Amino acid sequence: MIKVLISLIGVLNLLGFGQNFFYRKNWLPESDASNPSSMSNQNLDPSIHKKHQAMLERLSNRHQARARSKESDSCPSFESTDSFLARFSELKQSITSELTQIEQTPESFTKADLDNVSAQVSELEKLVAENSYHLPSYEVRASLKTIADLKESLEKVALKLVPRKKFSFKGKASKPSQPVAAVEKVKNEKPDLVPSETRSFVLDTSGFRDRKGEVLVENLKGKDMGEFMLSDLVSCDVRLMGRSRAIFIHRLRNCKVYAGPALGSVLIDDVEDCVFVLASHQIRIHNAKRCDFYLRVRSRPIIEDSNCVRFAPYCLQYDGIEDDLRESRLDEETGNWENVDDFKWLRAVQSPNWSILPENERMSDFRISSADG
Amino acid sequence: MGLLSIIRKIKRKEKEMRILMVGLDNSGKTTIVLKINGEDTSVISPTLGFNIKTISYQKYTLNIWDVGGQKTIRAYWRNYFEQTDGLIWVVDSSDLRRLDDCRNELHNLLKEERLSGASLLIFANKQDIQGALSPSEIAKVLNLDAMDKTRHWKIVGCSAYTGEGLLEGFDWLVQDIASRIYVLD
Repeated sequence: MIKVLISLIGVLNLLGFGQNFFYRKNWLPESDASNPSSMSNQNLDPSIHKKHQAMLERLSNRHQARARSKESDSCPSFESTDSFLARFSELKQSITSELTQIEQTPESFTKADLDNVSAQVSELEKLVAENSYHLPSYEVRASLKTIADLKESLEKVALKLVPRKKFSFKGKASKPSQPVAAVEKVKNEKPDLVPSETRSFVLDTSGFRDRKGEVLVENLKGKDMGEFMLSDLVSCDVRLMGRSRAIFIHRLRNCKVYAGPALGSVLIDDVEDCVFVLASHQIRIHNAKRCDFYLRVRSRPIIEDSNCVRFAPYCLQYDGIEDDLRESRLDEETGNWENVDDFKWLRAVQSPNWSILPENERMSDFRISSADG
Repeated sequence: MGLLSIIRKIKRKEKEMRILMVGLDNSGKTTIVLKINGEDTSVISPTLGFNIKTISYQKYTLNIWDVGGQKTIRAYWRNYFEQTDGLIWVVDSSDLRRLDDCRNELHNLLKEERLSGASLLIFANKQDIQGALSPSEIAKVLNLDAMDKTRHWKIVGCSAYTGEGLLEGFDWLVQDIASRIYVLD
């Protein structure tokens, strides 16, 4: 059946191509010659003449439209890229100007204005989505990038207008007594705004978060195997002994993380200037900058939106690590630590975003123990 | 006779179903496919691109398209929408931080007209992990009740690691698709 489909598509393509070819061959001479030919047809039947005129006009219009679209992009498309770009930049202009206005005088705007802007951004997104099928892929990427930027600045402005509430156990009594009117108003409308993210975070997963400049030690041995979460750490030294099911790592700066094997996967997002020593079945690294990874992985580790990351083999030691590795089926060196897939570099040549850590710069076996804390 | 009716006819004869499987990265899509097919799941690299698995299930042939979930390649999901009979959305129930991302991506997907007729199965995967949200909690966070009322959908808790719940999910999906496409049987 697939064969039938393919051949059908082939036939359609041929037809389409043929048509295109025909047009290209015939437009230019036809429209260039429009004047002389209309002269020579003067003594023909008036209705035929009229038709002929109309046809010539149509052709020359098309030719012009085509020439115009050629100026902006070299590849022919069936829909107009120009008109999309014009509309896109118009919308973008209006959003940016509104945002700057709000940013300059935040007092005079409310959440409703922000919602309005955000609705406009979604509108823009929709426009791109609707047109994506005929746009050159560069334009799609460029417009998506623009939208992402707009969203980011919108978020910044929103933060300015409505400072995000930090989770805390503060008693209600200590409420400040001089609330700004605008903020108060926003607070009243807020319940539906609280992202569910915050809510779910309150659920207890074991892990460390919001720490600065500490040595954090955890021994998972004998505990129920679950997930472990590291988030929002600055200049910390994390030592994790024992096995876990999964490790989530989010927003770390200048940290060192040494961890025993994870049976499932490790997911890393937004880390800078860190060192990781990890063993797992799967490892995904997103938004990492200037980090070193010492890994043992059963499958190929991947990076995405990362750069200046370097890789070396696993090098952790603690009492009982051999058993933990064996039980997690990570006792054998697979050599996968150097088989990194970069999702931002889908080419055969080596990605510029990652490299192998030179042997003379690698740390030697690193030993941790429960007494480290 | 139109192309569509030819395709329908052929499909009916072969009892083929096309199933698209998507979700955020690290949710366990590939593991689910391999597990249900009885294959080894101990070495699975993150999917760069897509996998297609054809499996016989009950009296039907399922063509399962397992498309990678990394951010970079989510933009290509739409290339796989055509002719989809069933949609499987896989959620990592233990990844609480990205549930918002997960909800947004799902709702974006459901806006797609080419998927409007597809039955939707949501796998709340990784139920075996301590701290994972239950299927009903996931349904709440993903705001599934707000979906278009005409959509056929079901959420099933599962663990691709142990295999629990997978058959229940596929049973429902296949039955639901069959009752729509092969009414005459």
